[in-house]
Amino acid sequence: MKTPAAIEVRGVWKRFILRHNRVETLKDRVLATFDPRRRERREWFWALQDVSLEVRQGETLGLIGPNGSGKSTLLRLIARTLFPTRGEIAVRGRVSPMLEVGVGFHLELTGQENVYLNGSLLGLPRREIERLYPSIVAFAELEDFIDVPVKNYSSGMQARLGFAVAAHLNPDVLVIDEGLSVGDEAFQRKCQERMAAFRAEGKTIMFVSHNLRAVSALCDRVCLLVRGRVVAVGPPPEVIPRYEALSAAVRSGVADRILGPELGPRRRRLARERQGDPAARTP
Amino acid sequence: MLPDLWRYRDLVAGLVATELKVKYRGSALGFLWSLLSPLALIVIYTVAFRYIARIQIDRFSLFLVSGILPWAFFASSATSSTQSLMVNASLLKKVYFPRAIVPASTVLFQFVQLVLALTVFLPFVFAIRGGVPWSMALYPAVLTLQVVFVLGVALALSVLTVAFRDLRHLTEVGLTMLFWLTPIVYPLSMVPDALRPLFALNPMTAFVSAYQDIAYWGRAPAAGGFAAMAAWAATSLAAGWLVFRWRAPSLVEDL
Repeated sequence: MKTPAAIEVRGVWKRFILRHNRVETLKDRVLATFDPRRRERREWFWALQDVSLEVRQGETLGLIGPNGSGKSTLLRLIARTLFPTRGEIAVRGRVSPMLEVGVGFHLELTGQENVYLNGSLLGLPRREIERLYPSIVAFAELEDFIDVPVKNYSSGMQARLGFAVAAHLNPDVLVIDEGLSVGDEAFQRKCQERMAAFRAEGKTIMFVSHNLRAVSALCDRVCLLVRGRVVAVGPPPEVIPRYEALSAAVRSGVADRILGPELGPRRRRLARERQGDPAARTP
Repeated sequence: MLPDLWRYRDLVAGLVATELKVKYRGSALGFLWSLLSPLALIVIYTVAFRYIARIQIDRFSLFLVSGILPWAFFASSATSSTQSLMVNASLLKKVYFPRAIVPASTVLFQFVQLVLALTVFLPFVFAIRGGVPWSMALYPAVLTLQVVFVLGVALALSVLTVAFRDLRHLTEVGLTMLFWLTPIVYPLSMVPDALRPLFALNPMTAFVSAYQDIAYWGRAPAAGGFAAMAAWAATSLAAGWLVFRWRAPSLVEDL
């Protein structure tokens, strides 16, 4: 029997509007009506193009690809902090996201206050947070600093607390962006152990990493994302070599022969219009 | 929105507590500061308008208290809502939760401050006045309408300031002008007829006059007053909610 999908991504496109010379104030807006040079230039950038992906319950999926290929954007869409321009995303269960370094921390608050605030952000009842609190602090190894404002933490300490919060708030789906590149060697190992334990509990994990060794050790499947498109999905031994070959091609300057020329957003749109791509016509 | 607020009540409480902590951490007087600023205004305006400009109204400071506290609630909610989404950017960028909770928590925080200020100042008013007027029974109704009105303003200002950062300064200037165009330090009856239409366009005129009727004059506001307040509250919430819903999906991209 096939296990149900925990994350379903169906035909997702995400467009960002690059605002050159951005108009940020009403004053500039008024001045721009008189002076064309002050006007904002808008360009489209398609960060994700027709991405479809299914992560089954209990599966660990690694997301790899060069910088700027849309990995973080995809995770944000799954965490619902961004909305897709078109397409659909369905997630079953509570998502505990760890995007960038740290969860959502309020720098003026202490570590303890942030743990509670984060728990309630994820919709956990207070009593549940109280129960989980000791193990979070112990995991982050921050017993001596937990009543200090987070603004006085080192970036490593913030990252440790962030991972501890995301990993202990008992989510169904754990979404981690570069979570394995934080902290020192010992802490990284601890994070990997924690993720392995998660996997053993049958939870779903989706994570982005450039640490290919960790990816092949932890993942059931790997998705290679390049320039906003899914290039390959499959078991690590199949997909990781393709990424390595691609990186080698980029280094020797022949990547465009494999991927097609890298177009600027405007030219890419024109190219798509010529191909009759429906997304190129969205306003 | 209300079901969201209830479902995320721990988060609302957490955000309100955060604002309290961030505001008063490291200040010796703590919460007393929030009483000090209305007290200072009351003293200054009493000196300026009772003894220098000589506005002819009995027990001027009682008149002032009844209008200035609700005004302060409105003004500080509007000002702090312009910053509310920016201040909480790190949370909004990383976790999904109903976005309206942020400006709603700001209003709730200001509301808590108003209630605390009222519990300190109103007993003085009644002691000097000699008894609680029966019209105080209407106070919760007016307060509810004002909270709804303020919530609509806060929803709109919070998302619009993300798009136009100078809206914060415009809000501050606008509030200063609006303060003097609201019958707070003078009674509405002193306003010349020629200026009356301008006052009718100011939503705070309706609310402040109602508070003065109830707490100072000891009478029920006119039926027209209630109708005006209800209309302002409904319009403000509907418009604020529409603006918020329009901007909310792309909010994080602009933060």
